[in-house]
Amino acid sequence: MIEMIHVSKAYEGNPKALFDITLKVEKGQFVYLFGPNGAGKSTLLKLLYAAERPTEGEVRVNGFDLVRLKARKIPSLRRTLGLVFQDLKLLQRRTAQENIAFALEALGAERGEILKKANQALRLVGLERKAQCLPSELSAGEQQRLAVARAIINDPVLLLADEPTGNLSLTASEETIRLFEKINLRGTTVVLATHNEGLVNLWPKEKIVLEQGKLSEGPLPLPVAHS
Amino acid sequence: MNGSFIRQACQNLTQNPWLNAITLGTIALSFLVLGLFLVIFLNTKGLLEEWGSRIRVTAYLSGTVDLNQAMRLGQKVRGLEEVLEVKYRSKEEALKILEEKMPERKEWLRGLPRNPLPASLEVRLKGEYQNSEGVQSLVKKLQGIPGIEDLQYGSDWLGKFSAFMALLKVLGLSLGGLLLLATIIVISNTIRLNIFARREEIEIMRSVGATGLFIRAPFYMEGVLQGLLGAVLALVMLYAFFLLFLARVYEPLKGLLGNFPVQFLSWEQMAAMGLGGVFLGLFGTQVSVGRYLRL
Repeated sequence: MIEMIHVSKAYEGNPKALFDITLKVEKGQFVYLFGPNGAGKSTLLKLLYAAERPTEGEVRVNGFDLVRLKARKIPSLRRTLGLVFQDLKLLQRRTAQENIAFALEALGAERGEILKKANQALRLVGLERKAQCLPSELSAGEQQRLAVARAIINDPVLLLADEPTGNLSLTASEETIRLFEKINLRGTTVVLATHNEGLVNLWPKEKIVLEQGKLSEGPLPLPVAHS
Repeated sequence: MNGSFIRQACQNLTQNPWLNAITLGTIALSFLVLGLFLVIFLNTKGLLEEWGSRIRVTAYLSGTVDLNQAMRLGQKVRGLEEVLEVKYRSKEEALKILEEKMPERKEWLRGLPRNPLPASLEVRLKGEYQNSEGVQSLVKKLQGIPGIEDLQYGSDWLGKFSAFMALLKVLGLSLGGLLLLATIIVISNTIRLNIFARREEIEIMRSVGATGLFIRAPFYMEGVLQGLLGAVLALVMLYAFFLLFLARVYEPLKGLLGNFPVQFLSWEQMAAMGLGGVFLGLFGTQVSVGRYLRL
């Protein structure tokens, strides 16, 4: 599913954003990517969805060799992924249903299919009654669930989430984790980046620990396991 | 899929109505000025050609040339490459014409002891030589032919008019070039602002795996629509101005212009303007998409 071999990423001004990362995540796993702010979690996720290229090393995701992947092939990779961003990236002038539908429209899906799938996703995240609400009319937890619903609309095999509980209360965080578990149980591999130690301890899973761009603890080798 | 591109492009256009109205206005204004130059240029050229077709070179023959020699001269002149037609006018015909032109002096003219007017050859030029250069070239050749005493041709105005046309052309092209450049900048800027306004949507589209074509196409469509609409708007305004000109300026001055029929742009020229709009729209979009929408 995910394989990183001796991966390093350097930026101008930050020569060791990631340094010599080797890890493997198997199909069906639920893994925390854990570490303090600035540890390189977002950079690592960006490497996984080809928003960045590694300076060194090999990265393979869902069968795609991301070092050699041509730019025009990136959309094919992304269609196998679900992405939940830290800032959610919800369209504020569109309703919850339209936000989800937008992702399918962007993939050129049929109108009838778009509506059907959007409603299914809203049901899965428990927002079917808020379908016509704008994001600003939703609570922080609901907004987060909406972002998750949009990420899974295309039935991804791998879900990457960057700090999805960052701004949430404990209750909302639990709801979000339960939602990710539900998605994971459907067979989707989940990698969830977080700096929240409490969260990792409260709902323990496999974890990859990053500190100052280096791997300090990781699931290599790992059994395929569900919580 | 194409329908959705057009829908998206229309949404972009209506999302920021003021910005797009200003863009459309600028494109229309540029095309209007270009169109005005084109209409003025084409009509002036037409008028010049019309006047040029009336150009005659009159070669006055010396008194010693008899009818036979005049006929041979006529044949020789007809053989020149600039010449379309040569007409011999005898001394008697010349006097008759003068009498018709000056009826009050008819008796006086008839009372002259001998006819003072020379016989002449009236030379008409071929279409491509009906200009200042053509006349000059013919005159040079005629001047060297024995038996031709004097030449009359009124092509001075033609030279000045040709110079004016050249000036008009240069002015039109320079101004047109500047306006087209401004149009490209305005379109490109509008597209840039629309890319900025839709940056979140673009990010989402990228994240879910929308293709580059799918993301870029609405912007190109928007540029094309702006260019085309701007050109069409300009043509409508131009036609309105043209009708106004016909009613207020042309009709009163029709006689002065020798009843020369003023023409609007042809269908082909209008289509070319529309295509120009499409091209400018595409080019303006490419400038911004290339710089700000790297996928």
